[in-house]
Amino acid sequence: MAERTELLYLDYAASTPVEPWVAEAMSALMTADGNYANPSSTHSEGRRSVEHIAHAAGQLGSLLNTDADRLIWTSGATESDNLAIFGAARYRQERGRHLITMRTEHKAVTDPFSALEKEGFEVTWLDPEEDGLLDISKLEAALRDDTQLVSIMHINNETGVTQDLGTLGAICRERDVLFHVDAAQSVGKLPIDLAALPVDLMSMTAHKVYGPKGIGALYIADRPGVHVEPLLYGGGQQRRLRPGTLPAQQIVGFGAAAAIAQSRMTDDLRHLAKLRERFWSGVRDILGVMTNGAMESAFPGILNISIEGLEGESLLLALEPLCVATGSACNSKSQEPSYVLRALGRSDDLAQSAIRFSFGRPTTVADVDFAVERYKDAVEKLRDIAPGRAA
Amino acid sequence: MSSDPYSSRVRELFRAPAHAGELDSPLRVAVEDQGVRISLSAEISAGEVQALRFQAWGCPHVIAAAEAFCAGYEGRPITDLLEFSASDLMQSLPVPIEKTGRILVIEDAVRSLGSTVRDASTPDD
Repeated sequence: MAERTELLYLDYAASTPVEPWVAEAMSALMTADGNYANPSSTHSEGRRSVEHIAHAAGQLGSLLNTDADRLIWTSGATESDNLAIFGAARYRQERGRHLITMRTEHKAVTDPFSALEKEGFEVTWLDPEEDGLLDISKLEAALRDDTQLVSIMHINNETGVTQDLGTLGAICRERDVLFHVDAAQSVGKLPIDLAALPVDLMSMTAHKVYGPKGIGALYIADRPGVHVEPLLYGGGQQRRLRPGTLPAQQIVGFGAAAAIAQSRMTDDLRHLAKLRERFWSGVRDILGVMTNGAMESAFPGILNISIEGLEGESLLLALEPLCVATGSACNSKSQEPSYVLRALGRSDDLAQSAIRFSFGRPTTVADVDFAVERYKDAVEKLRDIAPGRAA
Repeated sequence: MSSDPYSSRVRELFRAPAHAGELDSPLRVAVEDQGVRISLSAEISAGEVQALRFQAWGCPHVIAAAEAFCAGYEGRPITDLLEFSASDLMQSLPVPIEKTGRILVIEDAVRSLGSTVRDASTPDD
């Protein structure tokens, strides 16, 4: 294999580069010759800043087919998840204190639910099937008269498995239970029609979709009973639900990224599907390799594979210069395998050997071919080094 | 402060483990513990370690430590194997303190190899 030393980034599920047009739009609101005014100010520059924010909200609203005033700006998906989960649970706690989520959710969801358990809420943790999908009957069986909130992510950040929001949301709506969706991985990547979907709360972030870090949003449906209590206090911005000076340049960046995503989503999906298929075709015949989560129900930008007989941390290092994600929370202090993959029934060893490859707009076919060869070489090298099991 | 969990020495030893493999020798041991599997084989002549090889399943620090041991103990008296201490490897590579248990598996394997070599070198009564 030709020697290649420059890094090859295949971790687009973790973050994406800011599109140049997005960066330009942002920088125009940051420097002295631009519009840097506080949008809460009543002077003309402040009002101009408000107009920029309104335009961005319109762009994001257009992407999601919802009114811009249903969007609350946050610092990112983690804050949106926290605001949705804590805010909705506390707002509706007089009606009931039972909540439902999945074990395969992102920590930004599972940790708030764990914290609510300590506040006296009862949480039902649903397990996925082996393919990563939620069995609808499990949700139906878990719903109770006192259930107030169900939170299920759209695209799983580790496996790419995509849940059926329409069906899940309809079940919740029928029982008057709020349905929150962590859509950090899906906004701007998959078509989402909030005018049609029975979703009450949706968390999103810009930096997964070629926008800036530090800006996200929470969609709150305009429906009776859908409301959240704020987590922050200190000002009247955003209907007092999320006070604080609005970062106009970040919001404009999110809006611009949303507009780009909307215009090229079909091309993006086609591109990603081609890359994933090429990668999988290149590695599928390696002895002991398997996908985590069903490919047919997964977002094509993510491919998570495990392999028998290899140690994950060594595999990750052997894969350099690829920038990929291990399926384990493995670092020098912890070798805990991924709780997401364990929930799918993977053994500790298989979960620890998992690598998440995630592709993006800049990824080329040549990049994928190089990654395939690198993966094959790493597997061969580590298998050569590994002993048989001790008696 | 570097955020890289691996030193340049660990990276080099992991990238090119010249002593990975097996010797055609009866002097061999295998140890499995702490999520680490290690096997060592040796060729001995005139009370000296002539050649060492390892096979390992573990994190990069384990593989690097095994390679460093093999490279460092060829040509040394076989008695050194019995006195091997992982602490030198821990410091020289270096290995983070939380991985001490894994490197101690190598220490166990080396001392076990030392015992095997000693027993094979001692004439039967």
